[in-house]
Amino acid sequence: MGSPKALLPWHGSTLLRRVVGLVGRVVDGPVVVVRAPDQVLPALPADVEVAEDPVEGRGPLAGLHAGLTALDGRAEAVYLSAVDVPLLHPAFVRRVLGALDGDDGQGPADAVLPEAHGHRHPLAAAYRTAVAARVAALLEQDRLRPAYLLDQLDVRRLDEAALLHDPALRTADPTLASLRNLNGREDYERAHAEPEPAVSVARFGTLRPVGVRAPVEVLASSVARAAAAVGLELDRHVVAAVDGDRISGDPDVPLAGGETVSFLSAEAGG
Amino acid sequence: MTPGGYFGRALVVDLGTGTAEALPLPDDVLRATIGGAGLGSWLLDRLAPAGVDPLDAAAPLAFVFSPLVGTPLTTSAKLAVVALSPLTGLPSDALASSHFAIAGKGTGHDAIVVHGRCAAPSVLVVEGDEVRLEPAGDTWGRGAADTEEELRARLGRAYRVAAIGPAGERLVRYATISTDGRHAGRGGLGAVLGAKLLKAVAVRPVTKVRPADPDGVLRAAADLRTRSLGPATAKYRELGTLANLLAFNALSTLPTRNFQASSHPQAADLAAEDLGPERRVARASCAACTIGCAHFYAASGGGKVRVEYESVFALGPLCGVTDPDAVLTASRRCDALGLDTISTGGTIAFAMECVEQGLLDEPWLRFGDAAALHRAVELTAAREGVGALLAEGSRRMAAVVGGDSIRFAAQVKGLELPGYEPRTLQAMALGLAVNARGADHNRSGAYEADFAGGHDRLHGGAAHVAAAVTSEDRAAAMDSLILCKFLRGVFQDPFPEWAALLSTVTGWEVDGDELATTARRIVVAKRRLNARFGATAADDWLPARFLDEGLTVASGREARLPAERLRAMIDAYYAARGLGADGAPTAATLAELGLPPVAV
Ligand code: SF4
Repeated sequence: MGSPKALLPWHGSTLLRRVVGLVGRVVDGPVVVVRAPDQVLPALPADVEVAEDPVEGRGPLAGLHAGLTALDGRAEAVYLSAVDVPLLHPAFVRRVLGALDGDDGQGPADAVLPEAHGHRHPLAAAYRTAVAARVAALLEQDRLRPAYLLDQLDVRRLDEAALLHDPALRTADPTLASLRNLNGREDYERAHAEPEPAVSVARFGTLRPVGVRAPVEVLASSVARAAAAVGLELDRHVVAAVDGDRISGDPDVPLAGGETVSFLSAEAGG
Repeated sequence: MTPGGYFGRALVVDLGTGTAEALPLPDDVLRATIGGAGLGSWLLDRLAPAGVDPLDAAAPLAFVFSPLVGTPLTTSAKLAVVALSPLTGLPSDALASSHFAIAGKGTGHDAIVVHGRCAAPSVLVVEGDEVRLEPAGDTWGRGAADTEEELRARLGRAYRVAAIGPAGERLVRYATISTDGRHAGRGGLGAVLGAKLLKAVAVRPVTKVRPADPDGVLRAAADLRTRSLGPATAKYRELGTLANLLAFNALSTLPTRNFQASSHPQAADLAAEDLGPERRVARASCAACTIGCAHFYAASGGGKVRVEYESVFALGPLCGVTDPDAVLTASRRCDALGLDTISTGGTIAFAMECVEQGLLDEPWLRFGDAAALHRAVELTAAREGVGALLAEGSRRMAAVVGGDSIRFAAQVKGLELPGYEPRTLQAMALGLAVNARGADHNRSGAYEADFAGGHDRLHGGAAHVAAAVTSEDRAAAMDSLILCKFLRGVFQDPFPEWAALLSTVTGWEVDGDELATTARRIVVAKRRLNARFGATAADDWLPARFLDEGLTVASGREARLPAERLRAMIDAYYAARGLGADGAPTAATLAELGLPPVAV
């Protein structure tokens, strides 16, 4: 790739910043980035935690182990994501995590494994934190492939049809681009050249031009890009909310297709 | 020597005898309490007999000024009205901006306190140290604005007047005291004056305030004026507080149908973004204010009506009403009758849900029915029919209505909730639960941290507790100095900046740390005073609805506030404030802050 994946630029932001924002939007608990020895990370939100992966090159189970260790006692389940998935949609994360709790009537499981586009996706999957001991045991035995872990677990497998059974995901990401990872420079360049996601921009209060009642649609992969698209200057007096939920003054907050970003005065209240 | 900005004394008027005496306010008391809400707490502690009922003749009520009043510092022309609240039974302070603050201080006093009861409906006239009672005459029964006008016509334009409306006369437990069209609104202090048969207080200035460093004050005022016209106040200047409504709706923080929902599908009908350009006929400022957040819309049937988010939310979506004319008419009637719009809307919305649940036999009182809303407002002020019940506020009403209605009476300590949904603003949830005067957005602005996005607003924890503590401390300082909260965004480093203003006016050398400690002392002093008047840890809690029922925000995420989470936040708040498990300050905390024991 020529530069570490985490640092790859993505429309004014970076791949890692984008992915932590998209995952963080769905989960209630902390977001942990697992850093390889000496790995340089891009700027990340203050509440993102960084866990060290002590040994280079031991693969995803070692990363999962470092993350689970950092989360010890603070979460019941995790969504595990690779860094090279800029087209990840929060609806995908929601679908996978939801299946772990059996919210589609299938009963709870130890892990949820998407199987789509001809592959299993253990790096776009959900795990109960209780699996940590088994991960540790496998690492001890030098059995480093995720399949060894999955073989030991009660795994709920979601194929394309099962994934898209969720109407929210079907609308947000009908081709399951969430699972498209970038394996080489070409993949990256092709994905980066595609149009940015279509999002709605709503403005409130003095930020809304007189008479503009409906949100406007723009192509923008982050809050900063959306603001620029409608000619809005971001400063400490403006905050943005995504889908009427998370609020932030950070211009690098990522956006995904179909989301609505609302700009409002930081001077709340009265 | 008395510090700059003060006279070092309060005027204490016995309404039973029509006589007055001066109460000295020593330098150390002023420095420890500043003025406004802080000094008001001290006065109440000193003058209120133990166990006195808020509507008893012996209960004192204080109009408290501050060192900044009378200076050219923008937004400083404010006063705090401090008394025991007929709604909560606990100490309460209600702030208002007006020329009354400047003129009242110009009588040569840092506070004017009344106690006792007039023999007949009266007006108290204060000129310097001279006081006299005059018959209220035909102002009794009339609105506060009319009364103010008539008294100034009768006494002279140099007089400034604070008055109650018919609701205060009839002891509605959330009646206001009004001056210059602004209201000391929350907690029902208008009923305290009503119980004293005191229609109004008229003051005439006889002296001027002298700051320690007049040139320094002028320089600070010029600087503050410039900053007050920057982006931090744009929202207030351009649209007013109603600008909150549409954004709050999008963020699921707009209380709707007695907090059964947190957004209303027709909220856009009440948007300031559209109504402002279409209907605004005037914009005005309080006395000595450069911001001017008061926006007036043309009212149906002629005239104009002042528009505020809190009034529109409470008389609008909270009651299921979104027709702007209907909501503005209700708001205008509340102002004329002297009713706190938040508690009026909150109590009517509660009654509407009681009807919906079959607990109250008033079938006409339905959510979304504008005519019913208007009828309920009039009945409340007149205490007629179901109005006699409504006039008691939602907590007392729930005790009468029975069933499980208390679980959805949206109040804390008896004070109805303002327009901030606690489940989707969980720092604010804590602020509402623990604040000394009850559910309130002016003494705790913790919602600011929720809206800033530094923490997950749907998941209360340590960051939310820290935000609630900081917010209360800042509010205590602003309410005692006094400066308008809408100015808060212009201060980057508030305590040192406020301390510099205070030093320039008083001549004290106050730094940011001292002022921060003073603010903390004021908050703790209120908790101490609450304990003296019977508040316990059980009063720091939210109604069951907020803990048992979840909400779904627009993203699809669930907002829940389980009781254990609220408990954990309150425990952490107690620890941060130095309060014991009973909610009262510990002996060590009182000693550290130089406050007396709870029972004196
Ligand atoms: S900002 Fe508004 S409320 Fe504050 S002093 Fe000015 S006009 Fe009054």
